Amino acid sequence: MSIATEVGLIAGRELRRNLRSIKGIILAVLALLGTGATTIVVDWIQKKIRQEMQAEHGLTADQLNEARKQILVKALGEDQGNYFASLPELLMAIFQVTVWLGPLLIALLCFDGLPSDVQHRGVRFWTLRAHRGSFYAGKAFGSWLTVSIVTLAMNVLVWVVAGARGSAPFGTCLSWGFRLWLYSLPISAAWCGLATLVSSLTRSPIVSLLITFASFFLLWFVGFAIAGVTDNEVLGYLYPNSYDRLLMSVKAGKMMTGLGLCAVYAVGTTLVGTWLFARRDV
Amino acid sequence: MSAELAEVRDPETELEPTGDGKKAPREIVVRFNSVTKRFGAKVAVDNVSLRIKKGAIYGLIGPNGAGKTTSFSMMAGYLAPTQGDVEILGHAPTNVDGLRGRLGVLPQDALLPGADRVGEFLVHMARLQGMPKAKAEESARAALEEVEGKEWWMLRCSTLSHGMSKRVALAQALLGEPEVILLDEPTAGLDPKVAYEVRQIIKRRRGKTTVVISSHNLQELEEICTAAAVLDRGRLVASGAMSELTAASSEVRIEIQPPLGASSPYKGENLPLAAIQQVVGVSGAQYDEIAREILIAFERSKTDAETVIGASLWILLQERTRISSVGKGRGLEQRVMDLTE
Repeated sequence: MSIATEVGLIAGRELRRNLRSIKGIILAVLALLGTGATTIVVDWIQKKIRQEMQAEHGLTADQLNEARKQILVKALGEDQGNYFASLPELLMAIFQVTVWLGPLLIALLCFDGLPSDVQHRGVRFWTLRAHRGSFYAGKAFGSWLTVSIVTLAMNVLVWVVAGARGSAPFGTCLSWGFRLWLYSLPISAAWCGLATLVSSLTRSPIVSLLITFASFFLLWFVGFAIAGVTDNEVLGYLYPNSYDRLLMSVKAGKMMTGLGLCAVYAVGTTLVGTWLFARRDV
Repeated sequence: MSAELAEVRDPETELEPTGDGKKAPREIVVRFNSVTKRFGAKVAVDNVSLRIKKGAIYGLIGPNGAGKTTSFSMMAGYLAPTQGDVEILGHAPTNVDGLRGRLGVLPQDALLPGADRVGEFLVHMARLQGMPKAKAEESARAALEEVEGKEWWMLRCSTLSHGMSKRVALAQALLGEPEVILLDEPTAGLDPKVAYEVRQIIKRRRGKTTVVISSHNLQELEEICTAAAVLDRGRLVASGAMSELTAASSEVRIEIQPPLGASSPYKGENLPLAAIQQVVGVSGAQYDEIAREILIAFERSKTDAETVIGASLWILLQERTRISSVGKGRGLEQRVMDLTE
């Protein structure tokens, strides 16, 4: 049996386990309710701001869109500005919320995947039949698949709400929404890899949850807060959420850099975790 | 992996007397080579070497802290030896590709995944053994039926009782009829009827499958095992065929009762011990007044237990001695007590 088949079987089971567990269902419901509510609130605020701006400056909706496009071109350059001009503001706002809250969802989904099996020794049913590395990678991949499905469901809800409230044409919502979901995938892969590695270092799920939160906070503090204050670009690369700018770039080189950084995180953490797990007594 | 053997070796063989004066090779399927396992300063298993032959039902025996579970865990690949190496069918236990579908293990304290349905869990395990989906389901149903749990297919593992969980875990160890099965306390916590059924499942594999059982239940091990190793404080204190361990092939015990109406037991001088000692092959006969037992030792190269029993009973009955029971050897329990004191 190939390693890929082993990983696929274990990831598939992990996906089913996550989506059927009480924790998984509660998280999915909360995520969807939160997304729906946030979408409605953000949409209401954005519409109000647009109305006020139109009234204040005496602009039509098309003139306001054109002004927005000019601002984007000035801030991001010709190509990038034009690319973002057609992106509905609501979708962009929700994408940012999703990316920034993603680590929370990932930490809550991933923290017990491996530690609970090690703690209760259920892992012993698998170690005869699958390489330790496959078991580990299957768990990490399964967690990422779960997160991807939950975020897809969140995105679909946003498209439907945005389309129904007339925030943007439905086709535009669908086309941009799908792209934004694709942009979020490498970032969530990086976080899932990290969460699986950190959580695998302990046998106790509750300790793993705490150290996962602690490590995520540390990354935010160093890669976002300190990097922002000191304007240190290198430190900024520590924080996977900052890769969205790279991934959404119209320049292929930048986009590949973003993809590469996410891959380094996701694959690197999985390789390290696999290596450590293969050497552990279970 | 560092613990894995670099290359697959053919299972080695040893010469084994066949009973007709010839010797034939018999495969060694489980091998411990000077294995030591330390947990910090504590030595759990100390330089243990073992050979388990193909088709044996082999017991790992010893008191708490003897190193049974640690030895078992190294056999199953859960723990890596600190020194020495373990081989199963010529492979390191962590060599998944070499042992896939050939080794089944019932871990003692591993929890089944609570959210999984029984059938789904077993099919998943069978698929990881390399079976296609249809074959995996067929094999899972067969294994579940063997442990008398075919109606549990759709139950969630979290809803199973302790006994049911144990049998489902046993079913996963039996999936695909592996060549070697390792069972850690297979009947612990089971009611007598289910424990009996589990023993029958194990007995049915005698001679076909190599089964290694780690257990505290010495009566059970004596009943089902063909060979065993006795561990004490991490060291191997005895190993061999069950008949050798219990001295069943060199000792006979005859329990006697006082004559009708007599309140005190026999005195040794009243028993025909000298006559029994004259039986061909008998090397000694002693009477234990407290246990009310005659212990007859014999040389197995000259006679066998059945001949000694027949001759001794003939002599005793001629003297109208009242006989309560006859047994071969001392019993595993007594033997283990002697070895681990």
